[in-house]
Amino acid sequence: MGEISNRPNKRKGYLGAAALIIVLAGLYWGLLRAPPDAYQGEVQRIMYLHIPSILTAYLSFFLVFVGSCLYLWKREKRDDILAYSAAEIGVLFTALTIIEGSIWGRSTWGVWWTWDARLTLTAILLLIFAGYLMLRSLTEEDNRGASSAAVLGIIGFLDIPLIHMSVYWWRTLHQPPSILRPDKAPWDNVHPAMLTALAINFVAFVLLYFYLLSLRFRLGELREEIKARWLNGEN
Amino acid sequence: MGAWEFVFLAYGIVWCAILIYWLTLKRRLRRAEVELAQLRTSEESQSNAQT
Amino acid sequence: MDFLNQISLLLKKDLLLELRRRESLLLMFFFGTLLLFVFHFSFDLVPERVAEMAPGLLWLAFLFTGTLGLAQLFEGERGNHCLDALLLSPMDRGALFLAKTGFNFILMVLVEIVVIPLFWILFNLSSWDVVPYLFVITLLGTIGFCVLGTLLSAVTLKARARELLLPLVLFPLMIPVILATIRCMEAILRAGELGDAVPWLRLLVGFDVIFLTTGVLIFDRVIEG
Repeated sequence: MGEISNRPNKRKGYLGAAALIIVLAGLYWGLLRAPPDAYQGEVQRIMYLHIPSILTAYLSFFLVFVGSCLYLWKREKRDDILAYSAAEIGVLFTALTIIEGSIWGRSTWGVWWTWDARLTLTAILLLIFAGYLMLRSLTEEDNRGASSAAVLGIIGFLDIPLIHMSVYWWRTLHQPPSILRPDKAPWDNVHPAMLTALAINFVAFVLLYFYLLSLRFRLGELREEIKARWLNGEN
Repeated sequence: MGAWEFVFLAYGIVWCAILIYWLTLKRRLRRAEVELAQLRTSEESQSNAQT
Repeated sequence: MDFLNQISLLLKKDLLLELRRRESLLLMFFFGTLLLFVFHFSFDLVPERVAEMAPGLLWLAFLFTGTLGLAQLFEGERGNHCLDALLLSPMDRGALFLAKTGFNFILMVLVEIVVIPLFWILFNLSSWDVVPYLFVITLLGTIGFCVLGTLLSAVTLKARARELLLPLVLFPLMIPVILATIRCMEAILRAGELGDAVPWLRLLVGFDVIFLTTGVLIFDRVIEG
């Protein structure tokens, strides 16, 4: 029953520091260096959060899928920890994506919520994540919970492209002709500084994501060892 | 609300939430490490007592 | 051949049990009909709006009725370690999955055979000719529902608050089926044929195929835990 070493903590520290630096750079570029959008004005800066957020949310789900597949295949606790850690952080980033999208929507269209494809899909993603975590915590035995959640993770991941298609078709094929097309943000002239800001923020979010994931993963490992020791102690 | 206020609202919520999550993670980690250390030392003292 | 034999064996067992006690089937019948009544009271359904809302309401009724049936799906195996006994036998897990799915499918189809004409009558829909097409679409949607539902029913077997958890995890994943069946039904009610809605039909069939295959491949992982 290997003990968890303390050396990886240093690497995590470097990752965290790197993330922080890039985050600050992203803030600088996004809020100060990049010019306001020609159509949307300053509010477009929210996109420097929104786009990286949604991408990390999907990255999260992909990791849930990978962890789930590996766990069902090899039954190594590590993969299960990866899966539910990714799910927990995925919930965070998905919720933030919805909040950012909602605020952007309020400033652009005047409403806090619309049933446009993007917001709806993100909300569905949040529901699937939440269902995954609830299933895991509500299942009686731990190993059973891990397997069940893994199956759900795989089914969910396979379903996401289908959900995407259906929601996009629903919103585009049957929308009555209207002046406002919320799916299309008019970004005609993309200033290079805007692209840079987006790129920097994207890197920032990914680094931050993996930093948080590494912390959550370690927490999972520690808890597994604690559980194992308690079980041993009872013998 | 003016445009900049929306921007600050969004940025504020996002970075506060991430900060809070990071702090709670740190706290959970600390607690787990303390508990694990306790378990390890009690196990050692048990095996010492047995020998 | 052996595989098919296993499926039919398991299927016959469940059907026989159900025939003798008739719990699930009657419950589902009444519940489905009750929902139609409740919907009629809840939504002010003038004739012009019925064609618009009919597919959605019909599918809602089936969704909730089906969920009722799903909760009962592994009920028979729960007590007396029946499930363990089943697993000890050299049954192919995929066969078990298909048998359970098939059983739920048959139950739902029986309910639908009654509810769809009832629906047509109560809501004063258009010509009778479209009903067979509606039925086919419903069948395809029901397959999708039963496949995912059986998988998730097994997955939530050992969870607390199972009656609430199952719909919670099932419904978001059902969204493609819900959208596809309703769009197809709308097209049929409106124009008597699919027309623009053909992509939706393909999506529906694709969904059924993907999750049937996934279910057969993955079911042993689900059930053995």
